[in-house]
Amino acid sequence: MTTLACWLIRAQFRSRRAATLLSMLAIALGVALGYAIHLINDAALADFSRAMRAVQGDPDALIAGRDSSGGVPLASINEIASDPAVLVVAPVIETRVRVGSTPLRLIGIDVFSAAAVMPGLLPRSAAGGAGGDILAGAVYASPALLDKLSLPIGATLTLMRGDQQWSTRIAGDLPATDQNDLLLVADIAWVQEHFGPTDAVSEGRIRLAPGIDAATWRATTAQLLPDGLLLRAPEDDSARAANFSRAYRVNLNVLALVALLTGAFLVFATQLTAVAQRSTQFALLGVLGLSPSLRLLQILCEALAIGAPGALFGVSLGYMLALAFTQLVGGDLGGGYFSSSTPAIVPRIAPALAFFALGCAASLAGAIYPAFLNRSQPLAQALQAGFAQIVEAGGVRRRGWLPPVLLALTAFVLSRLPPWYELPLAAYAAIALLLVVGITSAPLLTRNLFAWCAGRRLPAAQQIALQNVAQAPLMAQVAASGLIVSFALTASMVIMVSSFRTAVDHWLDQVLPAPLYLRSKATPLPQSLLDALMQADAPFARVERTAHTSLTLDPQHPAVALIVREIERGNPAARLPITGPLLAPPADRTPVVWISEPLREIYRIEAGQWLRLPLLGRTVEGFIGGVWRDYSRQFGALVISSDDYRQLGGDFHPTDLALWPLPGRDAAAWLAPYVASHGLELADAGDIRRSSLSIFDKSFAVTYALEAAAMLIGLFGLAVTLAAGVRLRARELAMLGALGFSRRMLSHAVMLEGALIAVVGLAIGLACGIAIGAILTHVVNPQAFHWRMPLQIPWAAVVCSALSTLGAAVVASHYAARRATRLPLARILASA
Amino acid sequence: MLTVSGLAKRHAKADRPLFSDLGFSVANGEIVALVGESGVGKSTLLNCIAGLETADRGSIHIGPRALDIVRLDEATRAALRARSIGFVFQAFHVLPTLTVAQNIAVPLLLCDVPVGEHGPRIRALLARVGLTGFGDRWPASLSGGELQRVAIARALVHQPLLILADEPTGNLDPRTADEVLALLLERVREQQASALIVTHSRHVARSCDRTLTLTPEGLR
Repeated sequence: MTTLACWLIRAQFRSRRAATLLSMLAIALGVALGYAIHLINDAALADFSRAMRAVQGDPDALIAGRDSSGGVPLASINEIASDPAVLVVAPVIETRVRVGSTPLRLIGIDVFSAAAVMPGLLPRSAAGGAGGDILAGAVYASPALLDKLSLPIGATLTLMRGDQQWSTRIAGDLPATDQNDLLLVADIAWVQEHFGPTDAVSEGRIRLAPGIDAATWRATTAQLLPDGLLLRAPEDDSARAANFSRAYRVNLNVLALVALLTGAFLVFATQLTAVAQRSTQFALLGVLGLSPSLRLLQILCEALAIGAPGALFGVSLGYMLALAFTQLVGGDLGGGYFSSSTPAIVPRIAPALAFFALGCAASLAGAIYPAFLNRSQPLAQALQAGFAQIVEAGGVRRRGWLPPVLLALTAFVLSRLPPWYELPLAAYAAIALLLVVGITSAPLLTRNLFAWCAGRRLPAAQQIALQNVAQAPLMAQVAASGLIVSFALTASMVIMVSSFRTAVDHWLDQVLPAPLYLRSKATPLPQSLLDALMQADAPFARVERTAHTSLTLDPQHPAVALIVREIERGNPAARLPITGPLLAPPADRTPVVWISEPLREIYRIEAGQWLRLPLLGRTVEGFIGGVWRDYSRQFGALVISSDDYRQLGGDFHPTDLALWPLPGRDAAAWLAPYVASHGLELADAGDIRRSSLSIFDKSFAVTYALEAAAMLIGLFGLAVTLAAGVRLRARELAMLGALGFSRRMLSHAVMLEGALIAVVGLAIGLACGIAIGAILTHVVNPQAFHWRMPLQIPWAAVVCSALSTLGAAVVASHYAARRATRLPLARILASA
Repeated sequence: MLTVSGLAKRHAKADRPLFSDLGFSVANGEIVALVGESGVGKSTLLNCIAGLETADRGSIHIGPRALDIVRLDEATRAALRARSIGFVFQAFHVLPTLTVAQNIAVPLLLCDVPVGEHGPRIRALLARVGLTGFGDRWPASLSGGELQRVAIARALVHQPLLILADEPTGNLDPRTADEVLALLLERVREQQASALIVTHSRHVARSCDRTLTLTPEGLR
């Protein structure tokens, strides 16, 4: 039986090369994209974990301040070190400094305790100790930093932070650090002395005594710690890195699934038309003794013969794509989660097999309906009349509007559900259901609309085309399904991207009120500049200062940005794009914070509530005065006025400035010396806007490419199905030719059929696209990325896209029409 | 041998009996012609015997094990067809995407005959039907007479107990029809199979051992 199956598969491939190859390619594309995304992300996460292990070592626990500007008091470190369960605590001070314009991390360690906990940070002195000694104030540089600065070991370095400068010597390197890490290691006492504070460290890395259960110890000790301190497991950081990029990865994987889905539809169209074309042959095989289950299995085997090579090619292509992508762009997939790393792609057998299986499963899923159709063929009728009877039978079963209506209602309910596991899985299910609704509505619409049209008085060619589409709704459904899916997805992405872009554009207007912006790279701005700005001769009408830092509200989530701004407590809306009500605090001296939309979504808090902030080494109760829109910090941000911050005892060290230059004064020239000597970044609002929108457009470029691929596949599906329809109806067309239809009329009839099917496909696709666009905008974006925005339908772009697709569909139909005009009418009639 | 008894079938669309209480048998090596006017139910009777349509009542037994095809499920009916029945159609029905040899091999594959035995059996049969050297040809390159010879070879290659032929010469010119008919009858007799041939041709009917006439009133 295997021999017969192989013969039939070979025969099928021989006779339908183009359709088979295209189906294979579509499956390959879906698998390749999904596998490449998996490989890149897997490599980036592994790289992230490796880099973190190199710096962090392998401690049993870490203790740190919740507020990044705070630290762990030495008293707390000593207290933990005196616990009999603790073997050693390695204190670490980490700060950011600059060498020229290169920002880098400076890590102060105690070499003796570090040897036990974080051997990856242990320095290696140059031969002969030419560079000096760590205990004498020398520093050790990572190979990546030495490379970047083009400095040899033994060279002198000038470290800068604000206005302060320190000269030191590079005594050696850090051989075990990651290839992308730009860092310096120095003795902790030296770092404390120069950068402070003297009574606290950034972190304590703890090694427990043998036999102590780390989880139990952490849980017990965490309860005894002061509020501002956080005890966590080292693996939390890797898990958090994986978590915070999860929604983005899932979204990219859904896009890859779209390609796979299109592939499955193409397999569906290919196999259904193949079943239709070979219905007489399968009926004959059935008569000769091929059982119904073997007829079903044959179609599934043919689908597998398309899916397996496609999936295999897809896995190889995915690997090559991942290699090329990481070499060209790095390990970040455009989401900004793993910037500046070039991870090594390491394919593993289990995921490769899983993606291979996914490709095969997609192909098999596409063939299930055609396979059942082939199984249930009434042999005697099919042997005589071919597929026409089955088309009618299929059409009768699909006459009711009830299933699509019920599916649409289910999709609506799913779109109202909250996220599952912090992912918009219900919304994705709703999108899939909407596509099914579109496809199941196609035969109903074609039957009802065109049956009515066919009743009008029309020229013969048009009448034939209308009748054929109305009477063969299943084939129309097959031909239209590719267009419905591809146009729905294209229209929805255009709607979502347009809504998002308009919202970002509007948001940039609000968050960039000043003409000029100056910022340091994560270090405080030099005091000399801040002082000069206060002088009367400074060329600025107005200067607003902002400091950026971060704090950890929940160890399971990434740190949130804390923005200390010169902002009016009574009128935050003048500077923040407030989206809801503005609430006044119950008392005048109560600290007020304004939270971003992502913060509200992630922590499920609202304006008017109180937020416990780990600030300045203690817990501060802040009143949430309102919610503002933020598209740049996905994990949340909160703004506090500089007055409130100072009142709480904080030091306000600005990192960013918004500047309003005086008319006629050259502000850039005035700032130039500061920019050059302190490695600052100066940009005007227009540049920031242009670069932000350019980043936005680039990050959606891959979706445009996928949409174009989906549209091409949809159009090809239409052409292939129409051509198969022409072959199926060869006798009918030959008979029409014999009755007096010219070849031109036959060609027109086929092209008109294509256009009619395309109109139905595009109309349904547009309706589904608007619904899916609304789900993407109002449900997927807030649930996955915590971005909210109003729905904007770019009608001109959508209608133009529909019209150009209709034009392309007519051109694609021309391919089938050419077949109609080349039919050997006399031979077909003679063989009938 | 074939035994049909008490067979009844109603018309699928018009709610009236197509035939009722039909009974006849065909012995081993016997060739029976089934004649009758168009629409009387000859092809339906043939389909019922082959298990392609189900009779409303009655029984059909094929071969020495006397399996009643009416009572079998679809998969078992397919298996019975594969092993015990050979078909010849008016429209030849040769698979266009398989070569002549592959077409003839299909029943052997369905009967699980070892692939090693296929070549000699197919070559021998091709010689018997006058198509020596045609094994690697594609059906599109054959004439109607040649196609029907391929169909006859395919019907006989697995040595079935029963041959069902529906207008086997209907699409052929008189001379080719004579040749094909002679070939079919000769091979059927040679294999000692039973055969039921539906035909409108008196010449074909006369060439058979016995003729059954199906009328609206029943068999004569």
